[in-house]
Amino acid sequence: MQFSSSLLENAVNEFAKLPGIGKKTALRLVLHLLKQDPGDVHHFSEVMSRMRSEIKFCQRCFNVADGDICSICANSMRKSEMICIVENIRDVIAIESTQQFNGVYHVLGGVISPLDGIGPDQLTIEALIHRIEKEQTAELIFALNPTIQGDTTIYYIQKKLGTAPSANATPLRITTIARGIAFGGELEYADEMTLARSLQNRLPVDKYVSR
Amino acid sequence: MLRIESLALLQFKNYSDRVFKTPERVIGICGLNGIGKTNLLDAIHYLCFTKSYFSRQDATSVQQGKTGFRIEGQVVLQDKPEKAVCVLRENGKKEFSINGQAYDKFSQHIGRYPCVVIAPDDASLITGSSEERRKFLDSLLSQLDAGYLQQLIVYTKVLQQRNSLLKSFAETGQKDLSLLEVIDQQLIPAGEYVFNKRKEFLVSFLPAVKHAYLDIARQQEELHLFYESELLRAEFPELLRATRQKDLLSQRTATGPHRDDIEISMGKMLFRNIASQGQRKSLLFALKLAEMDVLQQEKHFPPLLLLDDVFEKLDEERIANLLEKVCIKNEGQVFITDTNKERLTLQLEKLGVAFGMIGL
Ligand SMILES: Nc1ncnc2c1ncn2[C@@H]1O[C@H](COP(=O)(O)OP(=O)(O)OP(=O)(O)O)[C@@H](O)[C@H]1O
Ligand SMILES: [Mg+2]
Ligand SMILES: [Zn+2]
Repeated sequence: MQFSSSLLENAVNEFAKLPGIGKKTALRLVLHLLKQDPGDVHHFSEVMSRMRSEIKFCQRCFNVADGDICSICANSMRKSEMICIVENIRDVIAIESTQQFNGVYHVLGGVISPLDGIGPDQLTIEALIHRIEKEQTAELIFALNPTIQGDTTIYYIQKKLGTAPSANATPLRITTIARGIAFGGELEYADEMTLARSLQNRLPVDKYVSR
Repeated sequence: MLRIESLALLQFKNYSDRVFKTPERVIGICGLNGIGKTNLLDAIHYLCFTKSYFSRQDATSVQQGKTGFRIEGQVVLQDKPEKAVCVLRENGKKEFSINGQAYDKFSQHIGRYPCVVIAPDDASLITGSSEERRKFLDSLLSQLDAGYLQQLIVYTKVLQQRNSLLKSFAETGQKDLSLLEVIDQQLIPAGEYVFNKRKEFLVSFLPAVKHAYLDIARQQEELHLFYESELLRAEFPELLRATRQKDLLSQRTATGPHRDDIEISMGKMLFRNIASQGQRKSLLFALKLAEMDVLQQEKHFPPLLLLDDVFEKLDEERIANLLEKVCIKNEGQVFITDTNKERLTLQLEKLGVAFGMIGL
């Protein structure tokens, strides 16, 4: 693509770095911005840059937050003794949109996969274990993608919890969302109905093994 | 019954855009070296196994200078016509569909069109490493049992994770043994499933191979075939425990069904070390004919047979003998390639079966 302005070219190149956006789409977006009022475009770029520089991760659940604690953890209406464990922030958004879950979350930041260089240390597993010891957690719900690595992560956390000295006397209930979702499928692509049903029919981990 | 009625190839290997009508039960394919006979068989292989018989990479099957290919087969399965399509898109993504319904996973298709290939390079099945024989066994069992393929995929993936973990232990100097134990807990049920299926299957399959061999070779030889697996001697969890230190050192998994083999011996010597070329070829045919039989028994209809250049180095009598086995005694559709149109035509005419001939 030939540009008569390097300003235009730079803008196109930046857009084209985004996932799913090719040069043609990038150009279309930039030309659209060019037609806008300069104030609007300024506002747009400010929102983006503030989002990136000011956003925080919740110290408790590692979800995105405006302050130290995210709005879900801060909400006293939610059952903090019920923790739903997810891979990433997108999964929080997916489950929240089902409006079926009234507990809190823990965002792992991925799943264990030595092949991809991801071990327990790269995830927030340690923090989760501490959290469970400290808080009066009654139930853990694993909402991980139904893959081999998802299973590895569940079993690993379960094993760690089994060996960790627990402060709370009440036994911890550990469940996983039911497999309404095809094996190998991805949570974020599931429709809301399937996800909602899976949450209602969650299963104890020992009945869950993929055989 | 399973039959391919026609085949349309687009940008597949040396074919830009070709349609082949193949309604007959026996199809001869002839032409000079390099004309595309094997490629045509490989297109059929794609329709049966969603991949090439020869190459792991789909890109090598795309016609040079093009992007993407399409293979479309008009198939009749149990009296019902259906359209099977395998497409490699420009972006390298492969899709496979039956009557427009795309599979989520290609493994779901395996076994729908059972198929046996006999090709010249298959001699490595006899002479090559144990991996070749495992591949043969896995391909056969996967066609018979979708659960087997599922567990084999799980086993292979978990094994890769385990080996990566062992490597990362060595690199970081930190050994998270609880993670290793968790991965072993995932490896064990899948490995045991694979082992038990292989064991159970080979009990009746290996004698059938031996029988077929003696029938083809027409001589009494002391041939022994047996399943070799560490799991025959100890339970898998025990084996893993016993090799753990070794595994941590070598950063690989030293035990498990990924090391299984089918051992073949003549007298007290390994078959592959002492057998003549003719004996090897006879054993290869024996394995494939036994495969054909077992597929037919389990599916209740005969598999497709793809015979590539099988006549090379065989005498007239053996050719006739083999053709009778695969074209008369077997009622499935057969595709046979040969460089010599006259020879092939003559042989098929002698059999007295209706056949089609594709001259390339
Ligand atoms: N990706 C590709 N693009 C274009 N041509 C290809 C491609 N792959 C293979 N070919 C061509 O296909 C031909 C080989 O075809 P094939 O192996 O089917 O021949 P054959 O008829 O079986 O020959 P033989 O009798 O020697 O076994 C070669 O000429 C090769 O250049
Ligand atoms: Mg060939
Ligand atoms: Zn939070």
